[in-house]
Order: sequence, then structure tokens, then C-alpha cells
Amino acid sequence: MTPNSEADTSIFIERLSAVVGAANCLSRPEELYTYGCDGLTLDAHLPSAVVLPISRDEVVAVVAICREFGRCFVPRGAGTGLSGGAVPVEGAVVICCSRMRGILEVYAENRLAVVQPGVVNAHLSEAVAPLGLFYAPDPSSQQACTIGGNVAENSGGPHTLKYGTTTNHVLALEMVLPDASWVRLGSPTGFAPGYDLVGATVGSEGTLGIVTEVTVRLVAIPEAVETILAIFDDVPAACRLVGGIIRSGMVPAALEVVDQRTIRAVEASVYAAGLPSDAGAVLIIELDGASCEMASLVEQIRELGEREGVRDLRIARDAEERTLFWRARKGAFGAMGRLAPDLYVHDAVVPRASLPEVLAEICAIGDRYRLTLSNVFHAGDGNLHPNISFDRRDPDELARVIEAGREMLELCVRVGGVLTGEHGVGIEKRDYMGMLFEPEDLDAMLRLRDVFNPDGVCNPGKVIPTTRACVEANPKARGYDEVPLG
Amino acid sequence: MTADAGPSSLASLRAALGERVFALESPLRAGGSTLTARVEPADAEELATCLRILSEAREPVLVMGAGTRMDLGNPARGVSTALSCRRLAGIVEFDPTDGVVQVSAGTPLAELAGIVEAEGWLLPLDPPDRGGTVGGVLATAICGPRQRGFGPVRDAVLGIDTVLASGERTRCGARVVKNVTGYDMAKLYVGSLGTLGVTEKAWLRLKPIPASLRVVELAVAPDEDAFSLALAAARRNSARAVALLGEPADSPLKNGGHRRIVAEFAGEPPATEADADWLSRGRGEVSEAGTAIDDLRRLQAQPLPGGLRARIHVLPGRLAAAWEKLQDLGAELLAYPEPGVIHARFGPGEDEGDFGWLSEVLEALEGIRAGLEAEVVLEALPDGAATEWDVFAGARGLDLMRSIKQRFDPAGILNPGRFAGRI
Repeated sequence: MTPNSEADTSIFIERLSAVVGAANCLSRPEELYTYGCDGLTLDAHLPSAVVLPISRDEVVAVVAICREFGRCFVPRGAGTGLSGGAVPVEGAVVICCSRMRGILEVYAENRLAVVQPGVVNAHLSEAVAPLGLFYAPDPSSQQACTIGGNVAENSGGPHTLKYGTTTNHVLALEMVLPDASWVRLGSPTGFAPGYDLVGATVGSEGTLGIVTEVTVRLVAIPEAVETILAIFDDVPAACRLVGGIIRSGMVPAALEVVDQRTIRAVEASVYAAGLPSDAGAVLIIELDGASCEMASLVEQIRELGEREGVRDLRIARDAEERTLFWRARKGAFGAMGRLAPDLYVHDAVVPRASLPEVLAEICAIGDRYRLTLSNVFHAGDGNLHPNISFDRRDPDELARVIEAGREMLELCVRVGGVLTGEHGVGIEKRDYMGMLFEPEDLDAMLRLRDVFNPDGVCNPGKVIPTTRACVEANPKARGYDEVPLG
Repeated sequence: MTADAGPSSLASLRAALGERVFALESPLRAGGSTLTARVEPADAEELATCLRILSEAREPVLVMGAGTRMDLGNPARGVSTALSCRRLAGIVEFDPTDGVVQVSAGTPLAELAGIVEAEGWLLPLDPPDRGGTVGGVLATAICGPRQRGFGPVRDAVLGIDTVLASGERTRCGARVVKNVTGYDMAKLYVGSLGTLGVTEKAWLRLKPIPASLRVVELAVAPDEDAFSLALAAARRNSARAVALLGEPADSPLKNGGHRRIVAEFAGEPPATEADADWLSRGRGEVSEAGTAIDDLRRLQAQPLPGGLRARIHVLPGRLAAAWEKLQDLGAELLAYPEPGVIHARFGPGEDEGDFGWLSEVLEALEGIRAGLEAEVVLEALPDGAATEWDVFAGARGLDLMRSIKQRFDPAGILNPGRFAGRI
């Protein structure tokens, strides 16, 4: 094949426009700029075009044209991802599913819904609320992020402790494969004969195909909710209460810890929740279930808290106060905006029991690199989010941010943890995969990818590093970066 | 072909693994094959060596745990050697603070359950047959009555160390309870019936032992909607197991609509008491433990010589329709309404070797599968009738599945023919 010429490109754009309509095919640089990155803004690449299809058939046609012209492509939802999964490296075409936002069916009796990938996470819960149901995975970006993006990233959120992540809520998928065919996978019954291809696809970060329809489980809205704010002098005490709660047999909906550095930032911002700024840590405990069990659960938590030296234990009296309590957690990222122009939200998981020592070590790493670092974390899952506030215009500081991040990940892996709990690998952590996996482990993943995406045209450059020996042995079949395109 | 390939690869296995390889004194019938030899690697390195030799010789094997569910799956093709994982046994690491355990595949489930229970944890795996191994449950992904409370098998699996057919040792997942680092390979392996690799060990997530239990057993009044009641019970907050049972086939009440509900509620005492009271409303028996759940498991797993056992997955809203159709076929039925599963037992026929009744039943099951958007797995077919039907009918994405098998086991040595589409 010959390199893409300008004439080729203009025909390519015309062909795409003919499928999705000129208004839904973007190719002017000022239009493309928005699609150069997702929530990971450090590494932007301009796409060669952006298309906004509205149906599976349009996605099929777009993929077929991309193949014909030797272009690679990247599926995208709302672009809220934090690991660069939607970044169009190599001038890929962005296939943005945000116009496919139909809630196609809701089966209240069977507690499931069939939706298009562009449905906004929170909109689905709002739509089914009158039926007494909701969609459980609730990433912090739920007001903007899409179900399709959630499927790609296997998104979690504060309530995954009780309800699980996206993978626990996806029953069936319709997906356009990189060869422009399409398949239906899984079953609304929750069991499908053969390999669990839905399970393998959820969390594959858009590298196996483009999901065009999702059948999800819905969950009954709990009868009662209690939100408790437990204020501690230090993080280890808060973590001990988390351990005590988990061992007690209770399964809270959420167990979230906010550290002192975050409390101070939040209290100085518009998100102030009335927390004492000398508090060492705040633990938000959310319980849900039957009304009749709430009083005894709250009492148990009070007892466990007192045993761990809780300084103050506040129970939300109403929905308004619940929202106020959650502001300490959910407002954290916004509050960071006051500290510096940029915020790097890290994501790693460690065994729950090692949280106190790992956090102390992470803070020490931040101090060593002279960085402004604060922590919020899903303590019940051992899922850490160290946040580094910085200014990207200072190249020295930026280098220190990256280096400190790498050191934090090495620490987490050393104690038995992993590189990411909910943000995904994307381009951000692709080259760190070797910290956790041996070449044989990555090769097994490549075997799976090759089944769906043998020439790597679908979301190139993501998840799996291309520089390992096993990859170099067969770059044409394996590698994204070396794919001969155009 | 097998007869020739067998001895030569056996000799290589013997040379490498010595006493781990032995000829069976009398041939063993299992998985639709006649087995004449068995190899029992005792650690991951031996397992890897064994698979490498078998792959190079293109000698197929039947991978086994305790051998309790060899009736599940299509018959294997051309297999004469069993690869037993039972010596890959024992707990590798148990963290009672975190509630996670890494365990070798051949560990008996009951042994693992006992060890974690002694530390206050519950093993959330509930196959009907308690005699199996961890690896066997992961391979078959079979659930018992407590799926409502425990979730499917894959929910308990955090990571798996798998030896691929080539002998390459691979790892996926980790000991942490939340993880999106790379593809979720464990999902692919769980329920793959040992056709992609052999599980060496796995990290499992445990559940806390609930503070209280209530078991309710009641007969549903003939004028009551048993399906709605069972589904509503299964949707109570503390429901861990809810089953609906029909009368046994020989009961005079068979067509009288007399049905029983068995429900187990687990959790905080106020919730379990409230839920048990809600269901029983003063009738039936309420106990704090009892053997009712064990009885359900026994019923679900009970062999039926000469008969057919089928598992039908159906949406809760279609449970009644599927039940009626199955009942009309003369099946003995046990259903779990959430998620909707019906275990149906048919036959045996009056004359051995006469499978006329079977064709009729299978045709009707196919009708249920297509008409009610259900999934049907034939868990056990009568001996001699096994070859004509794919017991995992209707797999979607079969081309992708075949391609996966080809890439993970190019020599086709692992349980060939046993899985969906005779993969």
C-alpha cells in the first residue's frame, strides 16, 4: 500500500461523511482538537478524523471504510477516561459513540435494560428510578461518562465494594469487530454457553472491538441508606476500622477514606463539608439495605469505631447532610483545582491490610519528590488514588510527577498490589505492565487480542507494551506500533 | 491414531515424570473416553513438563480434578490418558485479615472451606457436589442453590495461574479484590472446561460468615402463584438461596400444582428474621440452619442412570412458562428464580437403548431455548446417547471461540471435543 496522500484523505473523509452525514464527520483541526485526548491530558495526539455514528450499521460501515483506506481507529465515549484509552495515537480515526444514546428496552420484572453505548451512566439510573431500580456502577464521572466507556474500562466507583464493578453488571453485548463484522455475545439470562467472551471484553479498553449495544443488570434501590462520617486522628486508625468492619460480616455499600491533606484542600474550597482541619483522616461509611437492620448496623459501627479511637462519629440525618458528607470525597478533585493548574489522579490497588504502611510510604515518596500530594481512596477495596497537584508548564516538576508515580506503582506491586483498580492501563501504564507481568502473561493477553484484532487496527498502542521480546519476534502480527498502514 | 500415539508419549512422560505416570489396571470410562493411563503431576513444574511433552506429541488428555463432574460436556475425542490435578493440592497463602486465599487447583473444596471457616470466612463456591476440587469448580463454573447470595463462580476468582497447553506458565489477576490491569483473562478460563489451559492455582475472594441464618420451608397453596412468591423471596435483602420444587415425578400430586419453596436468608438478625417472617407468614417451618440447603444440592447433583439432566437458564419473568413446558414433558423440577435456573430431570425410558423419548425431550428443549430465549445445557445424557447432541447448544461467537482455542491450544490436546461447538 502507498502512504496516505492528501487526495486519498479527502476521498476518505467524503466516504465517511456519506455514512454518518457531513455534520457528524469532523476533520478540521479546530474540530479535532477536543478529541486529541481524554481525561489524561498529558499525551494528546490529533486524530485524522472524528466520526459520530448513530447505529451499529453506521459503525460497521465506518470500520469497513477505515479498513479499506488502511486507517486505524479508536472507539470513544465521553472522553472521561484517565489512562489515555481514547487517545488516537498514530492519527487514528476517532469513532465517538456519544450520539448512540438510546435506552432501547427496560425490563423491570427481569431487572435489566438494553442500552446504546453512548447512554450517560447517570441518565440510565435516572430513567429507571421510577421503577425502583438503578444501575449500580457509579464512577465519579457518572454525570458525563457513558456506558460504552464503562464497559471498555470495567469502571468502578465508590459503591463497588458491595455492588461490584461494570463486569458484574453486563450480561450481553453487541460488538462490531475490527474486521467490520458484528457479533452478539453473552445472554440476558446471565449464562451463555461457551467461553465467557463478555467477561473477556469488559475492561479490554476498546482494543477488541466497538460495543454498539449493552444489556445491563439493574438493581433495586435500597429501602434504607445510612451515611456515617468517622473522624480520626490518623489514617492507620481509619484503616483499622475498615478492617474491623470487613471482618465483622457487614458489607457496607462504600468505605471511603480522605486524608488530612485532602481535608484541608476541601475545607478551603467551595466543597467545604465542615470537617475539622486538624483531623488526620475521615472515613465515610455508607450502609444500605432493609430499614429494620440499619439501627443495629450503625450501633456495631459505633462500637467498632470507639475501639479504634474514633474522634467523632456523625450520622447523616437526611439526604441533605448525606450530600454534605459526600462532598468531602466527591469534591476532592475539584478542590485540588485551587492548589495547582494540573492534577494527576493516580490509581492503584494494594491488599487492604497493607493500606496504612503503603499510604505512609506514598506520602514519603511525594515529599521526596517535593510534590503536593493528597490521598482519597476506596479503602474497602484497597484502591488508592494518590493525587498530585502540579503545573505542567514546569518541566522539572512534570518529570518529578512522572517519576514519583512510577515509584508509587513499584511500591504497590511490591506489596502484592496491581497497577490499576479502575482507571485502566491505556497508554498511561502500558509500559509499566512488565512490573507486574512476565512476557508469557502478556503473551496470553496478546493471544486473546489477536483473535479479535489481529492486525491491531482497533485502538492501537494501548494496554500491552510492544517492546517485549515475544512481541519483537513477530511485530507484524503482534505489534501496534509497527502495523503497516496506508 | 490414539493407540499408536499413546505409548510413545507415555514413554516420554515416564522418562520425565517417572512414578507420576502409570497405566490403569482396568480401563476407566470418563468424559466419553476409555482411559488407560493417568499422569499426576505434583507441582507446577511437573505440570508444565507434562503438557509440553503432550503438546509436542499431539497426545490429547482428559483433564480431571476429583472426577465428580465428568458427565458434563460433550464426549472427548481420541483420549486415552487422564491428567489428574489432585496432587496439585494445598493452600499456598491465606490472608485472614484480607479475606483472600491462594489455593492449588487440586485442593478438595471441602478441605478449603473448613480451613477458611476456622478463621471466620466463608468460601463462596457452592457446587452441588461437595466432593470436587477447586480447579474442577473453576473449570465447570457450576453453581448450586446459593448462587443468589454468592454470585457466579467467576465473582469469587481474583486471579489464576494457568499452565497453557504448550507448557508455558502464565498468571493473570492478583490477590487484590479490584483490578483492571490488562485483560481479564480469568473470565476466559473460568467455565472453559479445561480446554484453554490447566489451572495450577488461584486467588479466591472469601465472604464473611453471616451473623445469622434463617431457613424457611413451606408448601405453596394451590391457589397461590408459586413463581411470583419464589421470585419475591429471592429478591428480599437477605436472600442467599431460594428454590422452588415440584412434586417428584411419581407423586399423585404431580399435576396438582403442589409446590414447595425452600429459602435461606443470611445476614443481620433483624433482616433475616424480617425476611423469614415475610415469607412464612406463620406457615411452614422456620429454622436456624437445618439440612434443607444440603438437600437441594443433593437433589441437583443426584445421578440419574439412563436419564437426562438438563439445566435451563431463563429470565425470571419466563420461569413460569419454562416450568410449565418442562412439567408437561414429565420432568422433575428444581428451580432457582434469581438468577433464573431450572434443573430438570427426565426419564429414563422404559427400554434400555430406546432413545425415542430422548429425541422428543431434546426437541422440546430446543423449542424452549429458541422460544423463551433460554440457554440449555445438557448436564448428563444417558449412556450411549451422547454423541449426537452438542450439550452446550447455541453458543454465540463460536468462530471467535474456535479461534481462541486454536491460539491457546494449537495442538488441540486439552479435553478435545468436550466444550461448546465441540471445541
